[in-house]
Amino acid sequence: MAERLANMAKEYSMKGGVPREQQWAALQELTKPHIDSFNYLLHEGLNKIVQHMLPVQFEISGGKRYSIFIQDMTILSPRLPESNKVAITNKVYPAECRERCTTYKGDVMIRVAWKSDGKLEGFVEKNAGQIPIMVKSDACHLAKLSPKDLIRHGEEAEEMGGYFIVNGQEKVVRMLILPRRNYPLCIKRPSWKTRGQDYTEYGLTMRCVRPDQSAINMTLHYLQSGSVKVCIAYNKQLYYIPLIMVLKALLDVSDKYIYDQLIGGKEDDSFFKGCATYMLYDMLEQNLLTRTQMLQYLGERFRVRLNMPSWYTHEQVGEFLISQCICVHLESNLDKFNKMVYMTKKLLSFAKGECAEESADNPMNQELLLSGHLLLMLLKEKAEGWLYGIKMGLDKVIKNKPQTVLNAAAFTDPCKYTASLTRPLEYLLATGNLNSRSALGLMQAAGLSVIADKLNFYRFLSHFRCVHRGAFFAQMRTTAVRKLLPEAWGFLCPVHTPDGTPCGLLNHMSADCQAVNTPCATDPIVEQLQTLGMCPTGLPLPIVMSHCYPVLLDGRLVGYFPDDIAVDATNQLRALKVLGLHQIPSVLEICLVPKTEVASQYPGLYLFSTLARMVRPVLNLQLNKTEMLGTFEQVYLDIAVCAEEIHPGVTTHMEPSEQSMLSVIATLTPFSDFNQSPRNMYQCQMGKQTMGTPLHAYQHRADNKLYRILTPQTPLVRPQAHEKYNIDEYPMGTNAVVAVISATGYDMEDAMTINKASYERGFAHGCIYKSSVVDLTLLHKDKATSESLVFGCETATAGLDPDGLPPVGQLLKDGNPMYSYINLQTNTTRVERYRGAEEAYVDHIKILGTESGQGKLNKVCLVLRVVRNPTIGDKFSSRHGQKGVCSMLWPAENMPFTASGMVPDICFNPHGYPSRMTIGMMIESMAGKSGALHGLFHDATPFTFSEDQPAAAYFGELLHAAGYNELGTETMYCGETGTELEARIFMGVVYYQRLRHMVSDKFQVRTTGPVDPLTQQPVKGRKRMGGVRFGEMERDALISHGTSFLLHDRLFNCSDKCSSYLCKGCGSLLSTACDKPSANIAAASFEAKRRWTCLTCGKSDKVTLVSVPYVLKYLLVELAVMGIKFKLDAK
Amino acid sequence: METPKDGNQPPPKAQTMIYICGDCHQENEIKARDPIRCTECGYRIMYKKRTKRMVVFDAR
Repeated sequence: MAERLANMAKEYSMKGGVPREQQWAALQELTKPHIDSFNYLLHEGLNKIVQHMLPVQFEISGGKRYSIFIQDMTILSPRLPESNKVAITNKVYPAECRERCTTYKGDVMIRVAWKSDGKLEGFVEKNAGQIPIMVKSDACHLAKLSPKDLIRHGEEAEEMGGYFIVNGQEKVVRMLILPRRNYPLCIKRPSWKTRGQDYTEYGLTMRCVRPDQSAINMTLHYLQSGSVKVCIAYNKQLYYIPLIMVLKALLDVSDKYIYDQLIGGKEDDSFFKGCATYMLYDMLEQNLLTRTQMLQYLGERFRVRLNMPSWYTHEQVGEFLISQCICVHLESNLDKFNKMVYMTKKLLSFAKGECAEESADNPMNQELLLSGHLLLMLLKEKAEGWLYGIKMGLDKVIKNKPQTVLNAAAFTDPCKYTASLTRPLEYLLATGNLNSRSALGLMQAAGLSVIADKLNFYRFLSHFRCVHRGAFFAQMRTTAVRKLLPEAWGFLCPVHTPDGTPCGLLNHMSADCQAVNTPCATDPIVEQLQTLGMCPTGLPLPIVMSHCYPVLLDGRLVGYFPDDIAVDATNQLRALKVLGLHQIPSVLEICLVPKTEVASQYPGLYLFSTLARMVRPVLNLQLNKTEMLGTFEQVYLDIAVCAEEIHPGVTTHMEPSEQSMLSVIATLTPFSDFNQSPRNMYQCQMGKQTMGTPLHAYQHRADNKLYRILTPQTPLVRPQAHEKYNIDEYPMGTNAVVAVISATGYDMEDAMTINKASYERGFAHGCIYKSSVVDLTLLHKDKATSESLVFGCETATAGLDPDGLPPVGQLLKDGNPMYSYINLQTNTTRVERYRGAEEAYVDHIKILGTESGQGKLNKVCLVLRVVRNPTIGDKFSSRHGQKGVCSMLWPAENMPFTASGMVPDICFNPHGYPSRMTIGMMIESMAGKSGALHGLFHDATPFTFSEDQPAAAYFGELLHAAGYNELGTETMYCGETGTELEARIFMGVVYYQRLRHMVSDKFQVRTTGPVDPLTQQPVKGRKRMGGVRFGEMERDALISHGTSFLLHDRLFNCSDKCSSYLCKGCGSLLSTACDKPSANIAAASFEAKRRWTCLTCGKSDKVTLVSVPYVLKYLLVELAVMGIKFKLDAK
Repeated sequence: METPKDGNQPPPKAQTMIYICGDCHQENEIKARDPIRCTECGYRIMYKKRTKRMVVFDAR
């Protein structure tokens, strides 16, 4: 313990002011899943979609057939348009896009080529618009810059990227949970019974993913008759095909061969034999025998749906269907056949009860949707649509001029409309809505992107680590999806999830968890498997299949391992993986699902080398090296948490550290192992609401609202993660001297008092930067008018400079002029005024040009600074989920003080401890105190202390060494009377965060104010000076209290009271009218002289003035309109 | 809000203001109708210079 203490003191030395040579690696690692996936799009994905995209075919009148296709696609870095000739560099950097509220996007270059009769005839190169570029991806100009250069370009020194800039806002594509690709899941779903006659709840679903990341779902249904139906989806429509038809359409083989394959390994099982015979016999009855017949049968039925060219034969259409809908992750029909057979066997044994149900909610069967992959899928779909659009354009060209030859010139017009290709991508990022025909096989089409708000650094970070289960599950009544499963260990943080609606659905990746993003070659793996003793498919097996494990690599059946060597071979393969030999990828997932007596997961050796899986580093004990484990294989491995847990001969792996299950934010909670667990969850939430240092480049931002804390400190007590992620760059709190005492009456219900002297010295002082971008070109719909507006003021307007903008540093109060602009057409000036209850300073003003460099002064960004020093009602919290509001700024001289004259900064109510059990906060208090006394920073990493080495004893000893009580308590004296307090007061140093919830943003009060024009009732909403609704239940409360005057005041006087004349004779409120005053008294127009007469009675003696709610009057008018008379019985 | 001015008034004489380029930090004099860009590097974002007027009056 002592040596660690010495280390801590040594390690920490301030090196501020000078940017580092290199960026902080651990921090950069956190946004990797995003950046790598976008890089995948740039480097591999575009080629892949070009390869897998279907060409558009058409025939011209001469009978010549053409197919047009995209030959090449590249994305360029963001740059200025050619029209800008004045800029010395044409590079566009992200900071400019943020400040000018534009999108950081780069050109997409597409080469469209056309073929006729298989011969390439020509190509055209086209600029197909621009798509948003991820910051710090390889297409971004910041990719390889050093901190110094980053600062030079208006970025953070530690800029991490991983987001897009769309219309000046930073947008992150949320990572979503998807079913693990190419792995068939046994599922029981009662709703499947309704899919048709004989359908059962047993089924097998698989999400097949093509190499270009586009996915399609496929389901195998088990029918009561013992047959199997294949359910495929095409354009959101479901189709059911008998299994044997699919198998026969895949390969031209005999019924005997199919039968042998289906019962392979189950030769003695009458159930399997029965099912196989039944299905084959059934097909026989339909008189469909050969592959050609099957393809024709399928082609005939699907031809219209698939929208195939007219000259395609039924057989070709059938082949197309097979290639596009059945096991699309596999290329060859033989592989597809084998996979279908394997799936059928798995389904049958599931139906028979020989293998267990699997869960789609289990992380072991899940992977991630990464931003690059989502964009790639959308880009592919839109490129297909675009290509089709070109075809339509060509059709038109040819129709108008039938002699047209297909050449580059003919393509000019049809290629013009590129918006359909790139706009949807920008739209997706801007709104989060997916505008797609097929919905890309996703379960949601909204909420795919979120704003990465820089409220503070924690919040910003967690945007990149958050994983959502999907919007669909948020509506689900059952809570099964929200459950924390043991399989999530090490991949999803158990602590860092919000409570409430998104609980358990919105998770965060553990700090070390990564997503696989480098595609790897599978051929070396197959070769290696064969050298390890695998019998490849297609060759006869040396032993019976029932004594073999099938080997599936990325959802492809590659061979069989005999039972006796399977375990050894797996271990050897794992060793090769860890050592990186024979081109075995380090992220290969090796899962040997053993055969068991009881029904368990379907046995086999499953290997995954695909992208988008979650992996994490774990220590391999045999080789003493770090191994990357996936969610599936972890289930079948024995991993010890710490060295004491190792069982020799059983344990194969060990966690890198005890806290490797925690997310970045959760690891930053000090002594979290001492706290009651929900408190750590609360801290994860509150950490993200803290007013902290979100960034350093305040001048280069145009966020609507940015918080800043002016006197932040580095915490005296911090976990190792604090140093690991270099959080000192973005501090967000203050080390406060906290006395746990109920000294004043102002500490009920989590309230706390702050020392007024501390406040005056700057404790938790902060401010808010509010930016508003004023674009004069958007003010008018009329283009000519809006273009003739420029900032400026004709004559000196008080408080504005000649450019129509306030001087920088000016204090603005409600109603002060904020800017003015001139209409050059009419030469009129208009002054806009500052509206807001709070005073604000003009912090800085940016004038924004256009990208062509020709823009006039018609777009500015005004950044106002609102001072927000702590006041009564502001919220504070320690790092242990202990929040409270400041109830009073207590004068220092009245605060309790210690013998040495120490006065606390904060008085914390002792009642906050017993029920919440945040012992971590007490330990932090003692640690902070001893750290302050000895000049040390204490390590607060969880799981370092134990029962044998208690933390309280360790820090108590240090306190004792400094001459303090080892329990952390002190004798204190009353501030008012100076008498000694009977109780010893627990006092120490705790790091306090100031939360962003402030009264100034929230208070709402009114007696009178704006009313609704129709009903005359108070409006609602804080912004509009509205009231808080005094509702039915509040009414009930006042009635039951008998406080009718209060009720009358609330519901009548403060609401829509109005005076009206009522005729007591006829009881009408509407028939009274003011007499026309005679000329001589017209001058004296005061009320008393006026006479009101009822128009129906013609008398005025019974007219009297009453107070009624205005809505009553309104109701009477409405009723009168409908011809309903309303009589008020007035006395 | 509208402060109507008679339309016959001659256009105001161009007054120059000084802005600082966001990229090369060059000080630019920009007249009322000039295009917004740095004369030095062509950058398109400029910062208004802090006023030399005294803004704090209640210095006690």
